[in-house]
Amino acid sequence: MKPGSGWRLLAPALLLLLIAFVVPVGMMVPTSLRPYVPLVGITGGFTARHYTRLVTDSYYLEIIGRTLALGLTVTCATLVIGYPVAFFLARTRSRGRNWLTILVVFPLMLNLVVRTFGWIALLAQNGLVNQALQALGVVDGPVKLLFNFAGLLIGLTHIFLPFMVLVLIGAIQNIPRDVEDAARVLGASWGSAFLRVTLPLSAPGILSGSILVFVLTISALVTPRLLGGPTYQVMSTLIYDEFLSRLNWPAGSAQSLLLTAMVLALVYLSGRLARRAGARA
Amino acid sequence: MTAARVRAWLLRGWVALVMGFLMLPVVVIALASFSRTSYLTVPPRGLTLRWFAAVLGDPEYVHAIVFSVVLALVATIGSLGAGVAASFALLRRRVAGGAGVAALLNAPLVFPGVVVGVALLQFYAMVHLNGTLAGLALAHMVITVPYVVRAVTASLQGIDPELEHAARVLGASGPVAFFTVTLPLIRPGVAAGALFSFIVSFDNVPVSIFLLGAGQTTLPVKIFTAIEYGVDPSIAAVSTMLIVLTGVGLAVAERWIGFHRFV
Repeated sequence: MKPGSGWRLLAPALLLLLIAFVVPVGMMVPTSLRPYVPLVGITGGFTARHYTRLVTDSYYLEIIGRTLALGLTVTCATLVIGYPVAFFLARTRSRGRNWLTILVVFPLMLNLVVRTFGWIALLAQNGLVNQALQALGVVDGPVKLLFNFAGLLIGLTHIFLPFMVLVLIGAIQNIPRDVEDAARVLGASWGSAFLRVTLPLSAPGILSGSILVFVLTISALVTPRLLGGPTYQVMSTLIYDEFLSRLNWPAGSAQSLLLTAMVLALVYLSGRLARRAGARA
Repeated sequence: MTAARVRAWLLRGWVALVMGFLMLPVVVIALASFSRTSYLTVPPRGLTLRWFAAVLGDPEYVHAIVFSVVLALVATIGSLGAGVAASFALLRRRVAGGAGVAALLNAPLVFPGVVVGVALLQFYAMVHLNGTLAGLALAHMVITVPYVVRAVTASLQGIDPELEHAARVLGASGPVAFFTVTLPLIRPGVAAGALFSFIVSFDNVPVSIFLLGAGQTTLPVKIFTAIEYGVDPSIAAVSTMLIVLTGVGLAVAERWIGFHRFV
């Protein structure tokens, strides 16, 4: 085997990464420090103004807070809804298992715009959800479910639930069934065997699934844009408007780098947490 | 025993409910696409196929479909080449700092899609790649290569490297051994990687939307902008087509390569 042949095989992928990812993202750093004058454009000199505004202006703080709140609630919702499903799929021996898994994967493979479009039809003023709620007598008039927190929460929970389920299936499958049986034999009730054995042993899966869903939620563009419209903004839709409508690329670059920093910090922290948990085990 | 029975049924009931929740928007769109009304309504009033005819008769939709397929094919072929080579190098050749390289290859999936999109928007404006198929394909390949690497690596881990060594000992050159021994063995992984790559490219909005030139559009971006203008049953019809294609594709992939193992 010739030395260096590994690097030659890696060259196409690394070259691609360099010209279509590393350099373009790196170039956002100088752009984010340029002054921007409305109607004139990007001017010379340097300023940190785009960053200071992000952490002092209440308009931006509200959007950042909303983005994080969505990330947190969507993560909790997918975890609570998805854990029992993952538990069932990981433990069942029925022949339908693979097809049920495929049913979880199907929405994941289906176009994101299409899935979100379904929720527009469901959540609109005269949509199916409002019709059902009124028919059941739960509410008197139509409830506002689009262009607000509730709509984004429902839509994003649906979009990211399959990710959580798939990660949890993997984690629960790794727990030997015997340890649970052992706890039961030693006298633990089903509830305490689950809470004190199964749940703690699936903690690594819960951690990585939660980080994944949180990161995907705060990064999402299509669903928040379509269900939130141009008025109910999150960070990614703010960046979208900054670049395509307001043409304030320096501010958009600063927002992009802040969002990226948040994502990377989370991924890094979860990696450290997982390693510490692994070292203790 | 009865308590265990009740728990088992409760769990099954919950699973059924969640599956229903996952399928709900899919069913709603499919139903709405057959409605005779010119606004979106569920359950549909009357039955008609005219919204499907409207989509297939609309040159804008047809162009968008053709452009999306071409772009996804180019991105898939490109990412298969780069991705298979990279996974082979990372797993079979001891590359110093291989773990770092693997993490770097995955980075475009960790970064928010919108950030990759706007970064390329600015960069392409400088190097005059905006609105070109090559620019779009490169951008898509950056996010499809990691999927190829993951699927191919999973397949490659399952086969014995000694098989390729045996071919080498028997006189095959490196490339001949790879193409006649290793590649046929990792075909399921390559197929899964190709499928992922095609779907990810075909579905992409957050990167494409910033890079499309005037008069250019991909199908999901076309649907995205159509929804922003106003909702009508032709959007439901084109969505239904995608639902059917995705369902058939997934069922075929499951039969052929046991697709769920690669997810």
